[in-house]
Amino acid sequence: MAEIKVQKDVKSLNKEIAEKNRAEFKKHNIFVMNIMGSPGSGKTTLLENILPVLAKSYRTAVIEGDLATQNDAERIRKTGVEAFQINTNGGCHLNAKQIEAEYAKIDPDHTDLIIIENVGNLVCPIEWDLGEDLRVVLLSAPEGEDKPLKYPPAMLKTDAVVITKADIASFADVNIEQMKKNILSVNPKAVVLEAGKVNGVYSAESVIDYIKEKIKAKKAE
Amino acid sequence: MHETALMQNMLAIVDKVIEGQQVKKVNSITLSVGKLSNALPDALTFAFEALTADTPLKGCKLILKELPAVAVCEACGADTILNDFPFSCPKCGGKFYTIVQGEDIYIESIDCELE
Ligand SMILES: Nc1nc2c(ncn2[C@@H]2O[C@H](COP(=O)(O)OP(=O)(O)OP(=O)(O)O)[C@@H](O)[C@H]2O)c(=O)[nH]1
Ligand SMILES: [Mg+2]
Ligand SMILES: [Zn+2]
Repeated sequence: MAEIKVQKDVKSLNKEIAEKNRAEFKKHNIFVMNIMGSPGSGKTTLLENILPVLAKSYRTAVIEGDLATQNDAERIRKTGVEAFQINTNGGCHLNAKQIEAEYAKIDPDHTDLIIIENVGNLVCPIEWDLGEDLRVVLLSAPEGEDKPLKYPPAMLKTDAVVITKADIASFADVNIEQMKKNILSVNPKAVVLEAGKVNGVYSAESVIDYIKEKIKAKKAE
Repeated sequence: MHETALMQNMLAIVDKVIEGQQVKKVNSITLSVGKLSNALPDALTFAFEALTADTPLKGCKLILKELPAVAVCEACGADTILNDFPFSCPKCGGKFYTIVQGEDIYIESIDCELE
């Protein structure tokens, strides 16, 4: 019998491709953001609302990940932004190889910003590096204020958490302040923002400002 | 839920490692599974068995060791096993920390019989 020592991260093959993607994005001055969150947490709705503003300052492309359908890519295209749909056929997360393949369809010299909407899931997408610069996790109020405590890796392995649907929190007996406290109790370094309908009108100012600030910071590097 | 993908990735690495090493039979593969790795041991075992059923690795054992999460306090540098939240440094009470272990899954070793 022989014992071969390995000491290798199970996801190291994905990590290698993610680093290749990251180097490629940097070379072309492209900022890449990965949006994650449970099914229906409001990822596409957030994009529909921030893209018209972001697209004024940055040449933007969106990569959509879903198990099935072109629905989300079509919703994005209605905002005038180019969108590429990945169907994972049951896969619960996007991986770096899929992003590499979609990126090949994008003209890197005429792109400043790529936003990836990951498959709706609060567990698996978190674990797969895509080569992104910024990670944002959406948490909708009706999911419940205890979710940050039940899904710690999602709170830990992200830069920011955006709480959505605060307008319907009261219908679900959810306390937004407690939800924020729970996020920060797991990850005191997380940036916590809010987006969603206020008096029937969708607002995501803080998210737009945050993204712009992060893009500026990367450019200055 | 992504345990199948994790095991597919692991098997690709194992293939690379044993390639050209005159391996006759793989007896077991040992993994360290981080407490914050978002992987369920039972689901890993299930996926592993399903993926290896019709391959030369059929019957190979998957040994899973739990790896605790370790946090380093950003104020004083002390390390602590991170069991629950919020984090509070037992030495200085600091609340900011960096996780240095337990977020990932590592292939520790492959136990095999050589030709
Ligand atoms: N009341 C209210 N509804 C919202 C808000 N944001 C999103 N929604 C609704 O929530 C539902 C799901 O939103 P989507 O944007 O499709 O969610 P998603 O996260 O993209 O979903 P998947 O891509 O399928 O995972 C839609 O019916 C939205 O109109 C909000 O702030 N308030
Ligand atoms: Mg969507
Ligand atoms: Zn300390």
